[in-house]
Amino acid sequence: MSTQTTTAGHAATPAWKEWILTTDHKRIGVLYLIGSMAAFAVAGLMALIIRAEQMELGMQFVESGTEYNGYLYFHGAAMILAFLIPGLTGFAANYFLPLMIGARDVAFPRINAFSVWLFYFAIILALLSFVIPDAPDIMWTGYPPYSITTSANTSFYVFTVHMLGFSSILGAVNFLVTVIYMRAPGMGWNQLNIFVWTTIAAFVLQLIFIPVLAAAVTLLLFDKYLGTHFYDPSAGGDVLLYQNLFWFYSHPAVYVIFLPAVGILFDIIATMSKNRVFNYKAAVYAGIWGIVGISGIVWVHHLYISGMPDWIRLGHMVTTLLISIPVGILTLSLWGTLYKGAISYNTAMMYAASCLYLILLGGLTGIPLAIPSMTLHLSETSYVHAHFHFIMALFSAFALFGGIYYWFPKMTGRFADGPMATLSFWLNFIGVNVTFWPLFIIGKEGMPRRYWDYEMFKDAQVLGYSFEDFHKVATLGALLIALGMILQFINFIWAAKNGKPAPANPWNSKSLEWTHTASPPGPGNFGDIDVEVDENWSPYEYNNK
Amino acid sequence: MKKLLSAMMGLTGTMMLSGQAVAQDIRNPAAEWEELWDIVIFDITIIGVIMAIAAVFFLIRYRANSPDQVGSARKLTTVQSISFALIPAAIFMADDFYLAAKGWTVWNAYRNVPEDAMEVKVTAYQWYFEFEYPDGTLVEADMETPIKIPVGQPVVFRMTSEDVIHSFGLPHYRVKEDIMPGRQTYVWINPIETQNTAILQCAEFCGEAHSQMANLIHAVPQEEYDAWIAEVAAEG
Amino acid sequence: MTSEADTAHVHEHHWEWSWAPLLVVAGTFFLVPIAFAFYFAYENVTLSAIFAGIGTVMLLAGVSMWVNEGLTQTPLLAGVANIGLPIFILSEIFIFLSLFSSYWMMRLSIDSWPPEGTPEIDKILPIIMTFILVGSSVTAHIAEEKLEHSDLSGFNKWWIITIVLGTAFLGCTLWEWDHLIQMDFIPETNAFSSAFYTITGFHASHVLVGIGAFIAVLIPALGGRTNKTFVTCVSVYWHFVDVVWFFVASQIYFW
Ligand code: HEA
Ligand code: HEA
Ligand code: CUA
Ligand SMILES: [Cu+2]
Repeated sequence: MSTQTTTAGHAATPAWKEWILTTDHKRIGVLYLIGSMAAFAVAGLMALIIRAEQMELGMQFVESGTEYNGYLYFHGAAMILAFLIPGLTGFAANYFLPLMIGARDVAFPRINAFSVWLFYFAIILALLSFVIPDAPDIMWTGYPPYSITTSANTSFYVFTVHMLGFSSILGAVNFLVTVIYMRAPGMGWNQLNIFVWTTIAAFVLQLIFIPVLAAAVTLLLFDKYLGTHFYDPSAGGDVLLYQNLFWFYSHPAVYVIFLPAVGILFDIIATMSKNRVFNYKAAVYAGIWGIVGISGIVWVHHLYISGMPDWIRLGHMVTTLLISIPVGILTLSLWGTLYKGAISYNTAMMYAASCLYLILLGGLTGIPLAIPSMTLHLSETSYVHAHFHFIMALFSAFALFGGIYYWFPKMTGRFADGPMATLSFWLNFIGVNVTFWPLFIIGKEGMPRRYWDYEMFKDAQVLGYSFEDFHKVATLGALLIALGMILQFINFIWAAKNGKPAPANPWNSKSLEWTHTASPPGPGNFGDIDVEVDENWSPYEYNNK
Repeated sequence: MKKLLSAMMGLTGTMMLSGQAVAQDIRNPAAEWEELWDIVIFDITIIGVIMAIAAVFFLIRYRANSPDQVGSARKLTTVQSISFALIPAAIFMADDFYLAAKGWTVWNAYRNVPEDAMEVKVTAYQWYFEFEYPDGTLVEADMETPIKIPVGQPVVFRMTSEDVIHSFGLPHYRVKEDIMPGRQTYVWINPIETQNTAILQCAEFCGEAHSQMANLIHAVPQEEYDAWIAEVAAEG
Repeated sequence: MTSEADTAHVHEHHWEWSWAPLLVVAGTFFLVPIAFAFYFAYENVTLSAIFAGIGTVMLLAGVSMWVNEGLTQTPLLAGVANIGLPIFILSEIFIFLSLFSSYWMMRLSIDSWPPEGTPEIDKILPIIMTFILVGSSVTAHIAEEKLEHSDLSGFNKWWIITIVLGTAFLGCTLWEWDHLIQMDFIPETNAFSSAFYTITGFHASHVLVGIGAFIAVLIPALGGRTNKTFVTCVSVYWHFVDVVWFFVASQIYFW
């Protein structure tokens, strides 16, 4: 039986069609990668403008507060929704999940292409912000009533969220069916790569929680343009309803980012230390699924200062603190995978090692935020920014970049490692510390977030320095990151053409994407081999002790 | 296990107490915040340092000697796997409950307003705060014209907004709470000493001039406060 | 549980591609966000209409290409669409739940219900509508049975009846809206009108999509081509829309 009734037209398809109109999971993965990196570059540029503006008191770079707010809106929304989520659950999952489970493609290839196009058109919509009059200025959180009363075009925010959300939901359907039905014969649940587990956990979260966000923003749209009163207290609506719906999604969303990043980390570390994952079952069933289980009942920790009833705030303090248990079990498994390993170092492993530091720093600084009596002061300060840049922006982005180095030979047949890669790693790593540590320090003294100016703090001193001094250091750090990232991108582009050629399995991994496919894999992934595994096979089985 | 038990006892204890918090002894949330901060930072620093040392040790100690060397970790037995999940989970949980109990106590200081607190009504607008003192005097302030409160006298701010969501942020007193249209929220502070640097700032994004929405709150001796409020009232 | 793919000895030696997904997305993009923004945010009706027109054409072209490919190409793994659809429906359930819980939040925190400005809303019509929709679920099922017995003309007949019933249902909604709007009960009126139009409208949009899917199945079926999985999916979706209606009716009209 043939899977494909070959139509005459296919024989002489021009290459651009085979790329742009592709329904192949690997090429869709690459499209996701390009789109998400473009979003990262633009949003990163916005970050530089933000840093430049905050560097000194007064207004230097932007012309008005609204302009600054527009940039900050784009930075937050694009980094989360168009860089990290598509980079992790779009690019990494698309390219590698089917390879890891020995499938020739995903269950619904055309729907997969549909998802990637939704993603691209959502980016276009978001980028239109720079050319339309009244660009959205409502921050990635979009709280009403401001987002309703503002003269800005909130509808673009809403539709961007709709399109990316729908794209993720379809992705979730696709990947869940793929993992359930298309695993290679013989592959049991306990033989999956941790990355596969984290991806499906992330998709389960997307499937259940995105609809809630979609509803929240739809009601926003109706309130603003059709005159309904869902969020309008003067006519029986509820101002806090939006925040509850929004965070009911957006807290789990942070794990949609966190989990696949951890998955990539596990795969890099296990491969580079040639070791089995320590306590695999605990990591999967208690760690990953524990996070999924708790993630839906902690959202009020984003509303600690929003005047929710006291008992809810205290209840969510306890549940939020309890997240440290599944995350802690995951970290123990990560650490344990290094134990008695045989670690070899390369750029991927350097990123992975730095992620161990970032997960501790970012995760543990979430603990004070989890306690409402602490958060009453820390909330809405740059302390929060430092927390989530470390755990989300940096931890997950570093895991993603590590993954790109790790899988680069698979995708291109060439290595991306080299002096340039090492240099850009160190620039990035030093840069992020220089950027975000100062934000912790002034955040604790009350530096508010979303402030393009902080005139009122001109006399405030911390450790003998003014807020401005700290902001200057942070801006310097951002420049280091920018330099590192530009070098990194140049390196990727250069290495894809001229890098050192790599064999099919350069790291001697046991995982299927390395052992059973060419680099890069052709159509149908495995050529003429029908992948099959036996019950002793495991992607992490380097010794059989 | 013992630690876990005592932490849980502590937690239930606070739970029972929280309802009937002692109204007579007036607490100082800002000072309690600072203490709690030290405790929490100490706690997470310990965890972070232990984990970090372990990571660095592993990363250095277990470098491969030759390219084809493989790791030598053994498979865990079922008992080992379960213990390696349950024991750390119990330790983490004990720490969580310990922190929760500590946090809860401070929470009570924040939320239980002393009975003799002076009440100031706050209305937030884009982009300023308006204050209504107990005698009905209305004050609008900005960075040049501070508002004043008497020292040694707890003050509770009862707040609402006329347009969008704002937030009443007082870093000096380690407190903030959102101000919303259609709802009333409160914040209370205990100004125990005179000072004239405390900043009141809007801490919830509210548009164009969000970062200009601020004024000073001076805590001054009673006489100075009386004189000031009389003067403002006279100006009408 | 193992893959069924290994039974098919697949050795694809070319890259798959399709225009359909891109066209559907681009069409939706012009039809919804762009046309909406021009109409509401920038108040330019002409441009809005032009973009909606372009979008509709692209959308229809994309859908018909998609259906055509679905009927002519054998997938890697057949018969999983009816697994995927319920998973998707799970997320639909959560959308409806969020809308309902917003409605409950409003309703339970208000002193008197219905709020001022609400006219008497007729309770007979929703009952008629319930019968129509349940009837259409039954006819869709009969059509499926016919297809099961390879009776394609019987299938077409019952399928068309289902479409007619669905359209009648949609007509009832529109008629009711028109009627209420004339009584000055518009989305702006009060909290109840907000919830009323949002929830019935959201449900109606599902009915509309369902009818579209029925037609997409019908057109090739009239020419003798059809696909069982596709038919099952559409009718499962339709049953879901039907079940949701019970909640809509009970919460909005009879509570
Ligand atoms: C990937 C993203 C990500 C991740 C994983 C996390 C993880 C956590 N976050 Fe964070 N957070 C964000 C992204 C993320 N966060 C973002 C984007 C915001 C701001 C949104 C906005 O307002 O714009 C935010 C804001 C935010 C707030 C609200 C602050 C405010 O606005 O007032 C809070 C409050 O509780 C919080 C807490 C936590 C906690 C407790 C965790 C925990 O999951 C961390 C758990 C990890 C550890 C604890 C470390 C490892 C564990 C051990 C070593 C075991 C032992 C430890 C103990 C026993 C303590 N976060
Ligand atoms: C994934 C998430 C993510 C990432 C990666 C980042 C990355 C960065 N962020 Fe961002 N940030 C957020 C998510 C993220 N941020 C969110 C959610 C907010 C909150 C918004 C809100 O309050 O609503 C925020 C807010 C925020 C603020 C607060 C502003 C305020 O309070 O007013 C600041 C200020 O310093 C900041 C700085 C930075 C910096 C310097 C980086 C740097 O790491 C960026 C470095 C990257 C670059 C400099 C790009 C360089 C690359 C190129 C130039 C590529 C060249 C291209 C090719 C060759 C193709 N961020
Ligand atoms: Cu008012 Cu920000
Ligand atoms: Cu959260």
